[in-house]
Amino acid sequence: MSVSGGPQAVALDVIERSEGRMVLSMGPQHPSTHGVLQVITEIQGETVTKASPEIGYLHTGIEKSAENLFWSQASTVIERMDYLSPLTNALCYYLAVEKLLGIDATIPPRAQAVRVLLAELSRIASHCVWLGTGGIDLGALTGFFYCFDLRERILDLFEASGGARMHPNYIRVGGLAQDLPHGFLAKLDGVIEMYEPRMRDVRRLLQKNPILQDRMIDVGIISAEEAVGWGLTGPCLRAAGIGYDVRRAFPYSGYENYAFDVITRTESDAYARFLVRLDEMDEAMRIVRQVRKVLDEPGPVQSPDTKFSPPPKETIALSMEALIHHFKLVSESFRVPPGDVYQAVEGPRGELGYYVVSNGDNRPWRVRTRPPSMYNLQVLKKIAIGELIADMVVMIGSLDPVFGEVDR
Amino acid sequence: MPSSQTPPAGATALDPTAVRPDIADARIVRVMPAGVRSTLEGLRADGFTMLLDLGAVDYLEREPARFDVVYHLLRLPDRPAGVDEIGTPERVRVLCGVPSDAVTVPTVTDLWASADWAEREVFDLFGIRFEGHPDLRRIQMPDDWEGHPLRKDYPLRGVARERTPRPSFALKSNVAAGTPAAGRTAAGLQKQIAEVRRLADAHAAADLAATGDGKQP
Repeated sequence: MSVSGGPQAVALDVIERSEGRMVLSMGPQHPSTHGVLQVITEIQGETVTKASPEIGYLHTGIEKSAENLFWSQASTVIERMDYLSPLTNALCYYLAVEKLLGIDATIPPRAQAVRVLLAELSRIASHCVWLGTGGIDLGALTGFFYCFDLRERILDLFEASGGARMHPNYIRVGGLAQDLPHGFLAKLDGVIEMYEPRMRDVRRLLQKNPILQDRMIDVGIISAEEAVGWGLTGPCLRAAGIGYDVRRAFPYSGYENYAFDVITRTESDAYARFLVRLDEMDEAMRIVRQVRKVLDEPGPVQSPDTKFSPPPKETIALSMEALIHHFKLVSESFRVPPGDVYQAVEGPRGELGYYVVSNGDNRPWRVRTRPPSMYNLQVLKKIAIGELIADMVVMIGSLDPVFGEVDR
Repeated sequence: MPSSQTPPAGATALDPTAVRPDIADARIVRVMPAGVRSTLEGLRADGFTMLLDLGAVDYLEREPARFDVVYHLLRLPDRPAGVDEIGTPERVRVLCGVPSDAVTVPTVTDLWASADWAEREVFDLFGIRFEGHPDLRRIQMPDDWEGHPLRKDYPLRGVARERTPRPSFALKSNVAAGTPAAGRTAAGLQKQIAEVRRLADAHAAADLAATGDGKQP
């Protein structure tokens, strides 16, 4: 170029000297990064030659906070890690604590059924957010409202169960905080009823949409071998053809009693991950329907070992022991025998694991999370190379990171 | 009301992993930093293709190894495989004790790509260095942060640090009547308040002089 002077000439000069490559910072304030993610990309023309995701903008020290709270209080902060499926986090943490306490075999079947129900509803609600916002990234606005309406109905169920829409803190050590309230099952039936026609609409809007297909097919491909090496789990791993699902491989909370298929595909591109999640929502609803049948039977929702859970409200007014017990639980919580345990559950994003260490005190010594989002997101620097810069949002969306969990 | 299962108050374990209850969650392998590399290479060659997680625990007073670097491995096929073929894959947990005087462990980023961010996070939050890591820098905390927050001797609310008030703020006398900023002395504050009052009185006197008898017009 023979342009002389002016900022344009300077820019062209820089591009020429760097062999046509240019560094572009995407985020941390970018609407399609699903939170606060910064991706420093090096592009040649429109092709990404290098991508370096930078995380930590949402680091809140949740693991440190959990070490300084009672065993029963820690779930409050733990539910805030993956804020799109808080119940899954609480479930996994409490399963680990129950194993250390040695009461994991005494959880009543009704409590287990409700836990499975809430975990699967969380999966549907979480995938609704992914599907809605993922569509927005690609310009498909309408799907968002259909998805979020369905999610709202599920959040209504969470509100009915624990009192809060986002972080109900309903799962407790040894079972649940209390039984499902009156009218919950009718609301649940409503959600079950609306699910199928709603998902039919959403699939019609998005799945066969030629623009979405154009944007997603053959974008962000990763081989099965690389997916395993990068530690991908959940839909991202199953879209690469590996049928690893914690619910099937290491059943917990009675998942072995329910019939469901583990969805796998082999294309391993963004569209395959899209389809795996969509089919997974249907499988989750299939489990919800099976659990619904069990829930008509009344039964206890707390482990009979009441040393870890408050006595029933009506006994506190009548029995001195119950009152003392309640006071001790609230003021100094319970102690957990020393030891370490790793517990995993299948969260909406993959294997969610908790490595919990107790030194015998009434607070956890260490609560280490295995964050599926972080490992899934890490692969971005691998799959982005050679793709178009415009497809970056497609790839981030297809990995479905939640930054509360990535940064903790 | 401690139950029969819970230990009495005060009896805490220095090394909980040595007295853990019998829970079949994974096969446990214990190594020291000198042997961790060969152990993990052996497990990788044995078919543990996935490094699920790499974390650390600070046991503070445990001797000689204060820290544990914890590797969670999973045996998975590294090619497309069905649910039935995978079945219940084997889990291994490698606990690598790290002494406090030499907090260095060899990297495993060449064995498992997933170790990259995980090792950076352990370095960031525990100060354990991974020798041979291609890009060992902080990942969660800001680059200029001092200290490693997940260490047990790091206070929950962070290290207290001297905070200097912004000069533009300190000079404005109307701030003086509010909450004292950190670093300002009570005597200085009193002086500033007195100055504000003196100015206010002077203004009032000037107003009085302007309106004559002090009555509202």
